Amino acid sequence: MIDQLLTMLGGETAAMILRATVLLAIGLVTAPIGSRLVRRFASRRFSVHHVQLMRRLVFYGVLGLFVASALRELGFSLAVLMGAAGVLTVAVGFASQTSASNLISGLFLIGERPFSVGDIIRVGQTTGEVLSIDALSVKLRTFDNLFVRIPNETLIKTEVTTLTRFPIRRLDLALGVAYKEDVDKVREVLFELAERNTLCLDEPPPLFIFSGFGDSALQLQFSVWATRENFLALRNTITVEIKTAFDAAGIEIPFPHRSLYAGEATKPFPITLVEPARPAPDRKPPEPAQD
Amino acid sequence: MNEQSRQEDIAGRGRWWTPRTVAVGHTLHCRIGPLTLELHHAPGEWDIGMRQDAEHGDEITAELDLHGGPLTLDDYQRFMFSRDDDQIRLTPVPADRAVVIKPRQAVFLPSGEETLLYVSSPVMVRIEAGADRTLLREVPALRLSDTWFGSSTREGELCYSGRTQARHVLEEVPRRSYRAITPARIRNEGITPLPLDKLSVPVPALSIYGDGDGALWTQGISLVRGAESELAALTVDDGPPDFAGPVTLLSGPREPRTRGALVRAFSVLFGQGA
Repeated sequence: MIDQLLTMLGGETAAMILRATVLLAIGLVTAPIGSRLVRRFASRRFSVHHVQLMRRLVFYGVLGLFVASALRELGFSLAVLMGAAGVLTVAVGFASQTSASNLISGLFLIGERPFSVGDIIRVGQTTGEVLSIDALSVKLRTFDNLFVRIPNETLIKTEVTTLTRFPIRRLDLALGVAYKEDVDKVREVLFELAERNTLCLDEPPPLFIFSGFGDSALQLQFSVWATRENFLALRNTITVEIKTAFDAAGIEIPFPHRSLYAGEATKPFPITLVEPARPAPDRKPPEPAQD
Repeated sequence: MNEQSRQEDIAGRGRWWTPRTVAVGHTLHCRIGPLTLELHHAPGEWDIGMRQDAEHGDEITAELDLHGGPLTLDDYQRFMFSRDDDQIRLTPVPADRAVVIKPRQAVFLPSGEETLLYVSSPVMVRIEAGADRTLLREVPALRLSDTWFGSSTREGELCYSGRTQARHVLEEVPRRSYRAITPARIRNEGITPLPLDKLSVPVPALSIYGDGDGALWTQGISLVRGAESELAALTVDDGPPDFAGPVTLLSGPREPRTRGALVRAFSVLFGQGA
C-alpha cells in the first residue's frame, strides 16, 4: 500500500508541488524587489506616508498573486478559495471592526493631509507635536513630554486644530477695566504698548473691541498678532506690559464688586470710627456666681 | 591707550567700521546709536557685552572709547580662541529681512509724477575678530518691530517695520551712524494717484557704503508703476548714489540679486493701498 502511495505521489503530484514551491519562491523574491523599486522611484515625488502605503500595496499584491498561482498549481480551485476568503473576511471584519475603521480612517488622513509630521495639533484637550502618522493611530508628543497615541478614527470624527499651518497667529486678550475709566485712553495705552513690543506685528494691526458692560468691569478685547514662533513669548511679555502700563496710567483693573443696600437705597451705612483696642491686661475669668 | 590705538581713534572718528586694536586686558566701548557694545579682550577670549536702548533720534554719531579694565555690562557672551589677535572689526551689514517703511503722514504721488524719497533703515553690526575676520556676532543696531507683509495672513513675508518722514530734500535727511539711507525713486505712470502707504525696501539685496563723515548709504532703488499693469519694476542701481560723495563699499548684499525677484506685484511693494 505504501508502494502504491509513493508511486502516485512520485509522478504528477511531485511535479505539482515543485511548481508551486518555485512560484512561491519567485513571489517571495520579487515582492521585496518591487517594494524597493517603488521606494526608489516614488520617494522623491511623494511624501513618506504615501511611499510607505504604495510599498505595502506592491509587496502584498505581488506576493498574493504568486501565492494564488501556487495554490492553483496544487489543484485548489480559486473560486472556492475566494469564497472561503470572503466568509473569512466577514468574520475577521466583525472581529476587528475597530482596527479596520482605524485603518480606513488612516487612509483618509493620509489622503486629506490636515497635518504632517512635525506639526503641532490640538485634539480635544491634548496639544502636541505629531511624531508619526501610522496605519492605526497618530502619535503625539505633548509639551510636558508625554507620548500620546490617538486612534485615526478619533481624528476623523472630532475637530482637529493644526496650530502650525499658517505663519502668523493672533493672540486674543480679554481685559476688564473699571467703569470710571476713559475707554479712549485705555485704547491709546494698549496701542502704544503694542507698538513698542517688537514681537507684536505692526501689520496686521492690533484689534480693539469693546465687548460689553460686565458686572464689575467694562469688558474689552485686545488682539495682537505674532509669528507662530514668537507667540508664546508675546503672550508672556504683553500681559506683563499691559499690567505695568495700566498701573502707570492709573487705569484700574477691577475685581468683582457687590453693592449692599440697607433697605433704603439712599441712606448710607452708619460708620463709626473706634479707637483701636488696647491689649487687655491679664484678667482672671469671672468667678461663677455663688449662691 | 597705546599710540597705535590713539592713531586709529583719530583716523576713524565717526567711522566706527574702521578696524581697531584692543590689547589683552583692554575693553573697547562702542556706542552706535541706541546700541551699546563692549568688546573685552581677555587672554584667549573675547567677551562681548551688549545693551539696546530705545531710539530717541538724536544719536547721530558713533562713539568709541578704549580703556583698560573689564566689562561694565552684566549681560555678555564669551568667545574662545586658541591664540590672541588684537584686531577687532565692526562692520555695518544690511538687515536680514526687508524693511516695510510707513510714512508718518499720508503721501500721494499723482499720475505722471516722479519723486525721490530718502528712507533710512537701521543696519546690523557684524563683529569680527582677528586678521582673518572670524565672525563672532551680528547684532541689530536697533531692533525694529516685526511686521507681516503679504496679501493675506496665510501668505506673505515677515519683515521689519519702520517709520519715515518721507523726506525728499537731501539736506534735511539726518546722517545717522546706525541708519543707512536709501534713495527711492518712484514714478507713477498709472492714471490714478498712487498712495504711498507702505514701501517694502528689499534691504537684504542692497550693499552698504560709508562716507568720510560716518554716514551710511545704500544703492538707490527705482520703482515704476506701469500704466496698465499692476506690476512694478523694481531696479537696484549698480553703485552708490552720486550725491553721497566719495564712499567706500563696506559690505555686499546678503541675497544675490536675481532678475525675477525684481519685478514684483505692485501691491507687494506698496501694500494694499496700491
